[in-house]
Formats: sequence, C-alpha cells, structure tokens
Amino acid sequence: MFALADCNNFFASCERVFRPELDGRPVIVLSNNDGCAVARSNEAKALGIKMGDPYFKIRGLAAAHGVAVFSSNFALYGDMSRRVQEVLRSFAPSVEAYSIDEAFLDLRGMKVEDYAAYAREVSAACRRLTAIPVSVGVAPTKTLAKIASKLCKQYPKLRGGCYLGRPQDIEKVLRKFPVSDVWGIGRRSQKKLESMCVTTAWDYASLSESTVRMMFRLPGWRTWKELRGEPCIEFEDLVEPRQSICVSRSFTEEIRELPLLSEQTANFASSAASKLREQGSAVREMCVFALTNRFKSSEPQTFASSVRVFPDPTDDYRIILSAVSAATAELYRPGYGYKKAGVVFTKLEDKAGIVPSLFADGALQLRESRLSAALDSISASYGRGAVRFGTQGDGHILSSRDHQSPHYTTLWSDLTKVK
Amino acid sequence: MTESGFVPHPLGEEDALDLQLAGEVKAGFPSPAGDVHEKLSLTSLLVRHSASTFFFRVDGTSMVEADMDEGDIIIVDRAVEPYNDCKAVCFIDGEFTVKKVELHAGGALLHPCNSRSGKYKPIAVGPDNQFLIWGVVTWVIKKV
Repeated sequence: MFALADCNNFFASCERVFRPELDGRPVIVLSNNDGCAVARSNEAKALGIKMGDPYFKIRGLAAAHGVAVFSSNFALYGDMSRRVQEVLRSFAPSVEAYSIDEAFLDLRGMKVEDYAAYAREVSAACRRLTAIPVSVGVAPTKTLAKIASKLCKQYPKLRGGCYLGRPQDIEKVLRKFPVSDVWGIGRRSQKKLESMCVTTAWDYASLSESTVRMMFRLPGWRTWKELRGEPCIEFEDLVEPRQSICVSRSFTEEIRELPLLSEQTANFASSAASKLREQGSAVREMCVFALTNRFKSSEPQTFASSVRVFPDPTDDYRIILSAVSAATAELYRPGYGYKKAGVVFTKLEDKAGIVPSLFADGALQLRESRLSAALDSISASYGRGAVRFGTQGDGHILSSRDHQSPHYTTLWSDLTKVK
Repeated sequence: MTESGFVPHPLGEEDALDLQLAGEVKAGFPSPAGDVHEKLSLTSLLVRHSASTFFFRVDGTSMVEADMDEGDIIIVDRAVEPYNDCKAVCFIDGEFTVKKVELHAGGALLHPCNSRSGKYKPIAVGPDNQFLIWGVVTWVIKKV
C-alpha cells in the first residue's frame, strides 16, 4: 500500500500560516518577477483565475474582489515543505519527497487496521503541527494514491484522507476520472487517446495489454498496470541528484548595457554554483542566454546564447564566474533590450568520480576549493551575497518582488510580532 | 551574534554550540574526564519538535509578569495541546497576541500579565470573534 500526501494550493497555504485572516479569502502567488499566477487558493480558483494567468491581465479582477496577492517567497515555502515532510516521516518508515508539495509514503510491511482512518490522521497531524492543509490518498499503487488524494480535494467530507483499495470502489472512481488527469499520461498520449475514444481512466485500464504496449510503450504500460492495482513505479526514497541546473529571471526593466547584464548573469551563476555544490556535483558544460521582450514587437528581437565547456569539471565559484563573464560578453550585442537572462549547467558529473586531466594543477585546485568552501560557510551564516565577487555588483537581482511576505521562519529580523 | 540581520542555519545537530564539557583542571593532575567531547546543543534543549516549532517576537508590555518583555523571542510549539492557563500565541479578529489563556466551555478568556500598568484588560472570546490558539509558548529567549 502507498500513500500520497499532497499539500493543498501549497504556496497560497504557506502565505496563510502567518496571515490566518486570509482563511476563506482569495489568495494568489505570482511567479518570479511577479509575472503570472502560480498558486491559487480555492476562492481564487472560483473567481476564474487560471494557473499561469499573467498578472497584468488579472490585476483589475484581483483588486475588485480583494484578492491577496503575493510574490513568491521560496524561503518560506522551502521551510514549510521541510516541516510537512518531517511530520510525514513520523508516519511511515520511508518517504519519497516527490516535489516541494508532494510526498509518497511507502506503507508496505506496515500494519494498518483502517487505511481511511490512517489517511485522515496523517492529514490532521500535518494541519495541527504545521498549519498546512494536506490531502492524503492511500491505495495499492502510487498512481491510484494520486487519484485518491485528488478525491480529498473534491469531497471535503473525506476530511483530508481517502482510501481507494476495494476493487468496486476503484472501478466506480476510475469510471468518472478523466484519463488526462491520470499521473503519467502526457499531452502526446492524450491526442492518441482522444482518437481512440478513451476518455476516462477506466476506459484506459480496460484497453488490452497488447494495445497499450504497442501504442503507449513502456511508460503507458506501467500506468495501465498501476491503474489495475499492480504496483510498477519504483519507490525512490533516495533523491537523485539533478541532471541540470538552471537559474533564470525576467528583469523589471530591459537591460541595455553589458556591465549590468554581466552582473546579473554572475549572480545567476553564483546561485547555480551553490546548488551544484550542495548536491556534490561538478559542471562540465554551461550555457548562458539572454533574450529580448517579445511583447515589444517594435523593438529588435534576439535570443542569444553562448556555451562554455570546462576541460576539468568544476564546482569552483571563481572558475565558473569568470567563464560566465566571458560568455556574457560574447553573446551581448548593443542596441537590444534584454528582458530575461539565465545560466544553465547542462552536463553535471559526480564530483567524487572525477579524474583530473593531465594538465590540472593540483595545488592550485586545492587552494581554490578552500576558497569556495569558505564562501559557502559565510553564506550559510550571513545570507547569500554577504560576501561576493566584484563581477556580481551589489548582488541584487533586478526582478520585481513587490508583494513578498516576510521570511517568517528563516530570518530573525522577520519574525511576526505579537502584542 | 547580533539579532537583527542574522540568518539562522536550518536547525540541526550540526548546530551544536561549541561548548565542551571538560573536567576541572587541577595543577599537575590530569583530569580523568579530559577526553569527554560531548557538545551542548541549544536546539536540542529549546526545539523538541522541529516540524512544529516556530519563533515570534514580543511587542509591547502586556506580558511582563510572565517574563515576556518587549523584544524577547518566544518559542511556540504547535505540538503542545493548549491547556488551561497556558501562555499561547492567539489570533483574534485579525491580530496576533500572546496571552494567558483561560479555557472554558464555549470560549476563552485571554489574560494579560501586567497588573501594575492598569491599561491591559482581559479579553473575552465569544462565538462572534474570529479566534484561534495558534500555538503554545514553551520558552522565552531574552537578552540580558
């Protein structure tokens, strides 16, 4: 048996933890640079605000209905996610953190008398201990557990916990469940399914095995088996290191000068490098890109990029930042207004497994790695950007965050005051 | 460490203070406890449940007789079930407040702890108030 715990409207719920007056009121959270809605409370959904709606289009609606608008506050969301996962770990021997707001619990080998009661208990504990509402679905496979957790959101009387295990219940639910909402059914499969008149999850589970194998290959076959109650998707409680790292932002105003653009890409690279170091990887190939504002069609448009290859894979701030400066200078052309830029580390390697090239200077590398480690420890104590390289300018990213809430749980200076 | 602007680490075991328990040193006689290298961690003392523990800052003087002075940091643990006369961070009608909570059937009475000033009155909580006990106070951190 597996459980999926899914935080309801997670970012919006995080914003309510320290603003309880927003319970029952519409709340939205905007993406980086306050571009578009990335999280909506149920009340905001009821107003017709869609995922990805650009803020400038819904600003009027939001003001008219008293919608509470927030810029993304990832320090808060990351900390609340950590708390929810800790609660979940007290309920099952192994927990797979699937995303910032979802986790699978492996219940195999556990003795549970009443799975529905267990699911409700997990949900209630998360709510009580962290103030985050969580939907918990329990089922024989991960795919069915996902469906069960969605049912909790549709039916409040389930009180946050749903068990989908009896064959007759599974059939009843799958007959009504749109196949396009099933975990693992991609956009491309949807087109095929439409042409085959497969609209519900039950239709899909009722296809013949050979049809599924032929039309939807291995992933589609796994989903098919999972819908039929046979676990096929591995439980992964070890987090795989990321295969690539991307840090990019839209700017509040277009950047036209090289020094300013270069400062921004240096800041992106520094933040990407610190993620790289956290997971113990080194980068072999890096791409820097910058693009103009496609909504300003009167201005000249470009999407420029420049790639750098490191002969020895590296996690060294100095090496990475000087390569970024060179790459930015290479892609920059005067006369363009750059609206967005980013740094992507495309080829990552496990740092422990790297064999230095013939021409590597061991002593120099050791000195540099000590410098990088010192920077990490200063950042851990005093915040990112407390110490930085000259190429990073003042360390600020020129991106809008006009509606950001305080860092209630991660900065002493931002604690909520109580009278 | 300065309080404002200081960025806390994620609380964990590695956060242990560098206080080492060592035996008293007597001249010419090596301490038998000299090789003990236990570390004291403030986190292990103050944060029993790291999932449910939060920090707030005291604003004002309504709780001075409960040792909560202006600017103190209070530690709140949502895992602690509210009990009668507990000190708790409450949310009432759009505002956070810390008070001594007298629980009774159908409501609560929020008592300030500052009898001398005379300006704080108990707050009666009824069905018309938007009210919740956000979390029970377990520790007060104050600068001397």
